[in-house]
Amino acid sequence: MAQRIDVFTFAEDGRAKTLEASLARLGHKATIKLIDSYTLEQDIDSPADLEAVQKSFVNPVTQTTDLSNLPKFSWALEIGFLPGVTDNLGHTASELTELTLNQKQAVYSAQVILIDGNMSESDIKDFAATLHNPLIQRASYKSATDFANDNGMGVVVPKVMLDNKGAAVDEVDLEISDDALEQIGKDGIENADGSRRGPLGMSLLYMKALQDYFKSEGRKPKDIEIETLAQTWSEHCKHTIFASPIDEVKDGIYKHYIKRATQEIRAAKGKDDFCISVFSDNSGGIIFDDEWMITDKVETHNSPSALDPFGGAITGIVGVNRDCVGFGKGAKPILNRYGFCLADPRTDPELYRGKNKTNRMLSPETIMKGVVNGVNHGGNQSGIPTPQGFLYFDDRYVGKPLVFAGTVGLIPREVGGKPSHEKGARPGDKILMVGGKVGRDGIHGATFSSVALDEGSPATAVQIGDPITQKKFSDALVKEIRDLDLYTAISDNGAGGLSSSVGEMGEASGGFHVELEKVPLKYPGMQPWEIWISESQERMTLAVPPENVARIQEILSKRGCESWEIGTFTDSGRAQITWQGETIMDMAMDFLHDGLPETPLTTTFTRGGEPEPDLPEPDYKETILKLLGSLNICSKEFVSYQYDYNVQGSAVIGPLQGPGKVGGDASVSRPVLGNPRGVVLSQGLFPRYSDIDTYHMAQASLDMAVRAAVAAGCPIDHLAILDNFCWCSSDEPERLGQLKRACEAIYEQAKIYGTPFISGKDSMFNDFKGYDANDNPVKISIPPTLLVSAIGVIPHVDQAVSIDPKAVNDLVYILNETKNECGASEYYALHGHLGNNVPETNVEGCMALYKALTEANSKRLCASAIPVSYGGIGTALAKMCIASGLGMNVNLDQDMPLDQKLFSETTGRVIVTVDPKDQEAFESIFAKAGVPCTQIATVMTDPFLRIDHFEVGLEDMNTAYRAPLKGY
Amino acid sequence: MTAKALVIAGYGLNCEEETALAFGHVGFDARIVHINDLAESPGQLENIQTLCVPGGFSYGDDTGSGNAFAQKMRLTLSDHLKEFIARDTLTIGICNGCQVVVNLGLAPAIDDQYGERTVAVTHNLTARYQCRWVDVAVQDTHSPWLDGIESMHIPVAHGEGRFMMEETILQTLKDKNQIALRYTKPDGQAAKNEFPFNPNGSTDDIAGITDPSGRVLTLMPHPERGMFTSQRDDYTTLKENARRAGQSLPDTSDGMALFQNAARYFETANIKKTA
Repeated sequence: MAQRIDVFTFAEDGRAKTLEASLARLGHKATIKLIDSYTLEQDIDSPADLEAVQKSFVNPVTQTTDLSNLPKFSWALEIGFLPGVTDNLGHTASELTELTLNQKQAVYSAQVILIDGNMSESDIKDFAATLHNPLIQRASYKSATDFANDNGMGVVVPKVMLDNKGAAVDEVDLEISDDALEQIGKDGIENADGSRRGPLGMSLLYMKALQDYFKSEGRKPKDIEIETLAQTWSEHCKHTIFASPIDEVKDGIYKHYIKRATQEIRAAKGKDDFCISVFSDNSGGIIFDDEWMITDKVETHNSPSALDPFGGAITGIVGVNRDCVGFGKGAKPILNRYGFCLADPRTDPELYRGKNKTNRMLSPETIMKGVVNGVNHGGNQSGIPTPQGFLYFDDRYVGKPLVFAGTVGLIPREVGGKPSHEKGARPGDKILMVGGKVGRDGIHGATFSSVALDEGSPATAVQIGDPITQKKFSDALVKEIRDLDLYTAISDNGAGGLSSSVGEMGEASGGFHVELEKVPLKYPGMQPWEIWISESQERMTLAVPPENVARIQEILSKRGCESWEIGTFTDSGRAQITWQGETIMDMAMDFLHDGLPETPLTTTFTRGGEPEPDLPEPDYKETILKLLGSLNICSKEFVSYQYDYNVQGSAVIGPLQGPGKVGGDASVSRPVLGNPRGVVLSQGLFPRYSDIDTYHMAQASLDMAVRAAVAAGCPIDHLAILDNFCWCSSDEPERLGQLKRACEAIYEQAKIYGTPFISGKDSMFNDFKGYDANDNPVKISIPPTLLVSAIGVIPHVDQAVSIDPKAVNDLVYILNETKNECGASEYYALHGHLGNNVPETNVEGCMALYKALTEANSKRLCASAIPVSYGGIGTALAKMCIASGLGMNVNLDQDMPLDQKLFSETTGRVIVTVDPKDQEAFESIFAKAGVPCTQIATVMTDPFLRIDHFEVGLEDMNTAYRAPLKGY
Repeated sequence: MTAKALVIAGYGLNCEEETALAFGHVGFDARIVHINDLAESPGQLENIQTLCVPGGFSYGDDTGSGNAFAQKMRLTLSDHLKEFIARDTLTIGICNGCQVVVNLGLAPAIDDQYGERTVAVTHNLTARYQCRWVDVAVQDTHSPWLDGIESMHIPVAHGEGRFMMEETILQTLKDKNQIALRYTKPDGQAAKNEFPFNPNGSTDDIAGITDPSGRVLTLMPHPERGMFTSQRDDYTTLKENARRAGQSLPDTSDGMALFQNAARYFETANIKKTA
C-alpha cells in the first residue's frame, strides 16, 4: 500500500500568488492555495514514525499536514509526474524519510492547486494545460465536492512497471533486402509483435557496412551490437558531416578548416601558444597562468528542448557541466554560458507534429519559459555562476528552438606531478560508474538528435537533470578524489550513455569487457541493449586501477554518492559485453570506431538576398525606440536576474552593466580569488545574415565574439574561440554549400585574428516537419546558425571595461568606419526587408583595431566600450545612455544618408568613451595603427540622445528597451 | 592562538570556498568540513570558535529551502550545536545557511529556546530566483558580527528569502533587538516592501536576524560576494573614478567588515577560556 502525506501552506505563498497572476492573464479572478503532496510507496505503520516523517516535510510556521481546515475552494487541480520521469523533489523526500526513519523507500511528489474562483470545468482544463507537459506530467482535477467525498485527490503511485519477462538479447537478421535494411536504419529493430524499437538514424550505406561486418564475423548480430553501432556512428557522436569528404575537400571540413586553423595558429604563435588540450577531450583547455588552466565547452540540446523545454535545457546545462568535470583529470566548473534561439513568444502559430491536428507543437512562450527555467534550475542549483548568455529571436526557430549550454572549468596544470590534461585507461583498470542508476531515460537520444523532429520522435528521449546528485559527485571528484591521483581516466556519460563513454575510454587501453548485469537499474525489466545505451543523467565513468577502487568508493560513499564497478578495460582489441556470463556483444574496437563508411558529399551555393529597398527618410526618434524595443535588441534582464551570476565570488563584470543595468555582450570574472587575472567570455551570432550569404554570417559571428571580448578588456593575443554550428537539412547540397562557405570564412578569419578554435559541436538537422492548421504538410528550417563563443584571459581585472560611460564631458569615439551595410539588419527587418548589402568583415582592418584596443586597454584609456551590433550605432549609443543614465550630444559625418550611418551593422566597430585628459594618448594609438578613430559625441548630463536634428529622451529609451519581455 | 572557523559543506551547499576564504582573509584558521565528516566526529566543534553554514542549494531546496539539511543536522548534531552556541562562540548562516539556521531554530531562539522553529524563510513573493545587489541597514542590535557597521551594499541570490512569522513573534524580535538587517533603498530610506529594494517581500523588510545573544547571525544577503571591491556591481565606475582622482581603490568592500568583526571578537576574547 502507498500512503500520501499532504502539506498545506496556509501562509501567504509567493508561488500561489504567481499562479493567481497567470490565471488573471487567462481572464480569471481566483484565489489559490497550494498543497505539496508526497506519496510514500509503503505505508508507515507506527504513528510515531509517521508523525516524524510528516514533521520533516513541514515548515510549521507556514504549513500543516492537517487538511481538516482547508479554506473554501471550487476546484482542486493536481499535477504530478508520469512513471519514470526524474522527480527531484520526491528524491529528496525519500532521502528525508531515510534520514528520519533509517529505512529506504521511494517517494513521489505532486502538487495540488486549490482554486477558489468562478471557473468552469473547461476553464480548469485550459489552466491545467498551461501548467503541465503531458509528455512528462499528469494532471487531474476534482470539484470541491468530489474532493470532499473522495477524501482528497486519491493515491497515485507513478512507479515504472515494465513487462518483466526477463532479459532477452535478440539476434537480428541482416541478410535481408535493402529496403528492409533501410527500414531498420530508419525505424529501428523489429520486435516480435511487429512494432519497432525506435530510430537508429542509420543510412542504408551504414546498414550495408554492418551487414558486411557480421558476414565476415560469420554470425548474426545481436540487437545490442546494432544499437551500439548506431550510437557510436551517429551524427551526434561522430560528426559525420564534418568528417566526410566534401567536394574537393577530401579531409572533410572539420579537419580542413577548423582543426587546421588551430594547428596553424599554434605553430605561428610558437612560444606564445596558449593552447594545452584542444579537440581531443570533453572540453578545450588553454593556459590561465603558470599554475592554472581554464577549459571551455559549449553544447547544444535542441531536439529534447522542443519536446520538453525545461527538461531539455536543464539536461543541457548539467550535461555540459559534466564535459567540464570530464576534462583531463577533472576540471572544476566555474562559469556557465547559455543561449536560446527562439520564436517570438508573443505569437502562437498552430503547428502539429502529427496529421489531423495531433501532437501540437508547444507555443513559443511555453518553450521560452521552459528553457529559461531549465538553465535556472540546473545552473543555480549547481553553484556555478551564469554570467554570460543571450536570447535571439527568429520565427523559424518555432519548431526547433536552439538551446546552447556551455561550461568553463578551472584545473591545476599539474595533478600528482603530471600534466592534468593527460589521461588514459590502462588494460586492467576497472570501469567504475559514478552517480545515478540507469533507467529508460533518453533511449535513442543520440540517434534522435541526429534526425529531423517529426511525429515519430520518441518521448523516451526526454530527460530531466538532477543537479544535486551531480553536484555531490562533482565536488567529491574534483575537490577531493582527483588530487589523490587514484584514477587514470574520467569521462562523462552523455549521448549514448555507457556505450559512448566506455567505448571511447576503451580506445586508450585497446578494449573493454563490461559485465552488464552489474549496472544498477532504477527499476527492473530493462533489456540489456537499453541499459547499455540509456542516457540516464548524472553519471561519470572512471578508469580505476584495481587497488584504488575501494578507496574511491569509500570517499564517494562518505559524500553521499553511489558508484558501481561494472567491468574492466582490456587490450583485447574487442568491445565485449557479457550478461550473467554469456557474451552478448563482441566486436572489433577498430570496426566500432573506424568502421563507418565515408559518405562523400557535394555542395552547391547560391547567394540569397533581395534588391536593396528604397526606404524613405525615417522618423529617427521612432526608429530608435522601435529598434530598442525589438526582440533582438531589447533587455533580457528577466533572465539575467534569475541566473545566479556571482556565486563563487568571482564576478567582476556581470550580465547587466552600469547603474542603468543594460545587458552586455561580454562578462569578466576572477576565478581564482586573490589572483588578479580574469576570464573574459563573449559570443556572437547573426543567423539572419545567412539569408544572404553564410560566409558573411560566419565572419560577423566570429568577429562579434572576438570584438566584444576585446572591448571588455581582453587582450587579442590571449583569446580562443569555440564553434557551434546549428544547421538545417544537411542532406541537401545547397545547405552543405552554405556550411562549407561558412567554414572557409572562419578558417581565414581565425588565422588572421590568431584566435584558435579549441572546441566545438554541431547539430545538423534542425528542421521541423509537421502540419499546419489546415493539415497541410510544412517544413520549417532554422536559418543556418553559427554561434561563436570566445574565452580569453585578462592579466588584471582592473583593466576590465564595461559598456556604461562614466563621466560627463567624456569624448565618444567610433573606431573603424561605417559602410552602407544594412542588408539583413534589424533596421531592414523593422520594415520587413532583407536587402542585399550584408556586412562584409574587413578582417585585416578589424585585427588592426583589436591590437590597438588591446594597447589602449593595457593603459586603462577606455572609460567604457561597446561593440556595435544589432541595430548599428543608433542602438549602441542608446544603450550607452541607458546604462549610464547620462545623455550624449552626437555629431556624425554627413558622408552617407543618416539612416545608413545610424543603423548599418558594419562589423568591426567599437564605440569608446574617453576622459578628455587622455585624448592625445588615446588618439595617437589608433593613428599609429592606421585605424579610423572618429570622435562623434560627448557625454552630457541632459537626459537625451541628441543626434543631428532630433533627440530621444533617456526615459523613453529606457522604457522602450525594457518593454517587450517585461511581462516574463 | 588563531581562532578557528569551520565552514560546512555538502549536499548542494556551494559557497563554502569563498566563505572560507573570507574567514582566512581576516585571520581565521578556516577549514571546510563536509557535513558527514562533522556528523561522524562532532567533537571537533569543541575546538572551533566560529561556525558557518554557507550559501548554496542544499537538497535542491526541495521540501523548502534548508529544510532537509536542517533535518540532517538536527538528527546528527543537535546537542553539539546547542553546546557550541552555549559557549562564547559565533555562528553565521548565509543565504541557504540562513534558511538552515532558522529551520534548526538556532535563530531567533526567543528566550534562549534554541531548537524551536518560529520563523520561516520561504518563497519570494515573485516566486522567482532573484540575483541582485541590495542595500541593507544594520538595525539596533548587539550582534558582534555587525559592530560598527551601518549599512552594506551586497548581493542577494535566492528563491526563498522571505522572512515570515506570526505578528507576536515579530513584535518580540523588535522588542528584543533581534532584527539585525533590513533592506533599504539605495539612499538608506526604508524599502517598505517595495520590489526590488526588498527583493523577496520579506516581512518588515527583514534581511537578517540574530539569537538573543547576537552571537548567532543569520542573513539572506551574501557578504562574501561583496567583500572585494572588484566584486561590486559598480566596480568599473569606482575604479575609473579612482584612476581619474589619482587614487587607489581599497581592495575590500562592505561585506568584509562582517568577517573582520568576527576576527576582532576573538582577538579581544580569551580563546583558551572559551575553547
